[in-house]
Amino acid sequence: TTHLDPTPSEKAIHFGEALQQWAQFQSKTHALSLNLTSQLRLILTPSQATKLSGAFRTGKRLNIKRIIPYIASSYKRDKIWMRRAVPTKRCYQVLLAVDDSESMMGSTGSGAASGVKQTGENRGDMDPTGPASMALESLVMVSRSLAMLEVGKVGVLGFGKETFVAHGLEDPPFTSPEAGAKALQKFSFKQSGTEVQNLLRRTIDIFSEARNLNAGGGAGQEDLWQLAIVLSDGLASTGQFEGIRRLLREAGERKVMVVFVVLDAKAKAPSGAGVGAGGANASTSILHLKQARMEKTADGRMEVKVEKYLDGFPFQYYLIIREMEELPNALAGLLRQWFGEVSG
Amino acid sequence: MASTNSSESSVRIFFSTNDPTLPLPAECSQINVPSDIGRYGLSRILNSSPMLNTTSPVPLDFLINGDFLRGSLSEYLSANGLSPETTVEVVYVRALVPPKFDKSF
Ligand SMILES: [Mg+2]
Repeated sequence: TTHLDPTPSEKAIHFGEALQQWAQFQSKTHALSLNLTSQLRLILTPSQATKLSGAFRTGKRLNIKRIIPYIASSYKRDKIWMRRAVPTKRCYQVLLAVDDSESMMGSTGSGAASGVKQTGENRGDMDPTGPASMALESLVMVSRSLAMLEVGKVGVLGFGKETFVAHGLEDPPFTSPEAGAKALQKFSFKQSGTEVQNLLRRTIDIFSEARNLNAGGGAGQEDLWQLAIVLSDGLASTGQFEGIRRLLREAGERKVMVVFVVLDAKAKAPSGAGVGAGGANASTSILHLKQARMEKTADGRMEVKVEKYLDGFPFQYYLIIREMEELPNALAGLLRQWFGEVSG
Repeated sequence: MASTNSSESSVRIFFSTNDPTLPLPAECSQINVPSDIGRYGLSRILNSSPMLNTTSPVPLDFLINGDFLRGSLSEYLSANGLSPETTVEVVYVRALVPPKFDKSF
C-alpha cells in the first residue's frame, strides 16, 4: 500500500484512483443529483412572474391610486403606469466543507491488543456505509447539482485540526471529473481534531474576500448569495459551542448562510466485549449520543450532568441524514425554509 | 493538568458490561466525557441519571482493551498514540475492593 502523509491538503490518494472514485460516486448518485437539481432550480432562481409595480410615464397597466393626484395636478403628475419589474439576477457562491477528521472513519481505540492505532488504513478501505464515504458521495452529488444549475461558483474546503482549500471558488467548475478528482485527492480523514471554529472563521473570511472581488469586478448589479454546506459526522467538542455560536452570528450579519449536514451513518457497531449493555443492539446514532459535564454547585461540590449531545448543538440550520437518498429532499427543504425566512 | 484548549477536552466513549445486574439502556451507551477524568469520574457519570438506574451508587472499575483504567482518559489516549477523535470502548465492572485514592477525578 501507499504511504500516506497525514498532513492536510497533501494528496491522500493517486489521481487515477480519485478519478475512478469520482466516476463511481457520480454514477451512484446520478439520480439523486438530478432530483436535487430540479428542486434547487425552483428555490435558487427567483420567479420570473413578478408583480406589476412602480410609477412610470408609460407602462402596462394603470396604477389606480395615482389617477386622482394625476387629475388634481392638472395632469402634471403623469407617472400613472405600472411595469413588470425584471428580477435582478441572483448569483451564488457556495462552499462545501467536508469533515476530514479521523472520527469520520469511525475509528475505535480498542480491539488491537497491542494498542497500536487501528486507523492507519488506506482510504481505499473506507467503510462504504461510513460517514467518510457518505461525505464524499454527498460532495460529488451536491457539487454536480450546482454545476448543472450554473448558478454560480462552487468551492470545497476540508477541515479537521486544520482547514484547507480543496477547490477554490475561482477554480474550474465541477463539470469535468478531473476537477472533482483533484478535490477528492485531498481528503485523508486522518486529522486528529475537529475544529469547527477554524472552519467557520475561514469560511467567513473567504466569503468576505470573494464578495469584495465580486463587487469590484463590475458585477455589482448582481444579487450575491453566499452559502456554506458542512458535511460532517457532527462530532465536535462542546467546549467549542459558544465560539461557534458567536461565529454563526457574525456569518449571519455578513449574510452568509451556514447549513450543517450531519451524516449519521450506521457506524460499525463496536466489537464490545460486553453483552449486558452496549454490544450489538447499542445505538451509535448521534440522536442518542450523550454529553457528560461536571458542574460546580453553589456549595462548591462537583455535580455530574448528563444531557443529550444534540440539545446543545449550536447550528440553527442542520439536518440529520442516515441514508444518501434522504439528502436531496432534506437539503432542498431546509433551503426553501431559509429563503422563506429571509424574504419575509 | 488543566487543559486550556477547551476544544480538545472531550472524548467519546462507548460503555458495555458483562454484568447482567448492571444493565445500561441502549441509548445511553454512547457518551462524550471530559478527557481529564479517570475511574472516579466515570463511576460518577454511570451512577448519575439517566445512566444506570441503581438505588444507591455502585462503585465501578473500568477496563479498556483488557487493562484497568488507572490514570485519566487523556493519559490513556496519549500512552496508546490515539487521538481525541477515537471512540474508546470502555467495559465497566463492579469495583471489588474499595479503590485507593487516585488523583484523577
Ligand atoms: Mg471528528
